Amino acid sequence: MSDELLVVRCQLGERDAFAELVREWHGAVERYVTRMLGRGDDDVVQEVWLAVVKGLPRLREPERFAPWLFTIARRAVMNRLREAYAPTAEPLDQPQPTSGRGISTPVWEPPASEAVVDREAMAGALAALPAREREVLLLFYLEDLPLDACAQICGVPVGTIKSRLHRARRLLREELTREGYEA
Amino acid sequence: MTPEDVLGRLDARLSPGRRIAYVVVALAGLVGSALIGLLWATEPALPTRTGVAFAVLIAIGLSWTVVGTWAVTRRTPLFARDRVVAGWLGLAAWAVFAGGALIVAPGVRGWPFVVVGALGVAAVVALVSALRTRSALLRRKAELGG
Repeated sequence: MSDELLVVRCQLGERDAFAELVREWHGAVERYVTRMLGRGDDDVVQEVWLAVVKGLPRLREPERFAPWLFTIARRAVMNRLREAYAPTAEPLDQPQPTSGRGISTPVWEPPASEAVVDREAMAGALAALPAREREVLLLFYLEDLPLDACAQICGVPVGTIKSRLHRARRLLREELTREGYEA
Repeated sequence: MTPEDVLGRLDARLSPGRRIAYVVVALAGLVGSALIGLLWATEPALPTRTGVAFAVLIAIGLSWTVVGTWAVTRRTPLFARDRVVAGWLGLAAWAVFAGGALIVAPGVRGWPFVVVGALGVAAVVALVSALRTRSALLRRKAELGG
């Protein structure tokens, strides 16, 4: 069943559809929250689903559920980061000075290290990346969201997402090389 | 945390009975306040303490209306089917109010009529909007093969 159909059924008030929606997307929400915070946080995950319940009746584009969900998750993560590290938290929603028009578009191939690095090492390397770069890698590669959805979630232009992905892949490769993996 | 844990914690928010109960509370508060207000406005020369008592009762009724409205807009929002039920309840509440107005203030013309009429129009508009929204969603559901 498509996400759009599930969302429409939820908007109608079908409770079993909401249960199905949670079962389908809970893993992705939990993974995003865990990777972004560096640890699991049930309260944040719960906060995300509460916001989904509240917002679903007003969601105008059911077919855009995934970007909408991750926008909510992102907001919840940012709130938690602000609470935890208020003076030092790295803002996620400010475009970088180096991003914008004029930056060459990178070629879209998966990182060479992806196939050979084990899950734990990849998680460690991801955690070492700056929040903005970690976020775009999570959304684009782990959640398999298209560039425009990533841009919508992060509140930046598609070009900025591309440049962040480019930089993120480079930083990830450097991090893995530092840990002894061959690029 | 498993999906079942999430659903367990959201159980109260997802309960249609609770959402409709909030609607009933809001409408009951509104109808009660409106009827008392109508009686107060159309009854000449009430003692001061009766006026104070009416004011307190109106305040209590409106407080329940605010609580119910807040709950269904902020806490447990209404889904399309809930909105249709709420729309019919609103129309029923208006009928109770209109009937009560005839008993409480018989033969009164002028602005009370305007108030009763305006509330009736609001109830009909809310119901029609809810029915349209649900129809559109049902159509989309059918298009998507649901």
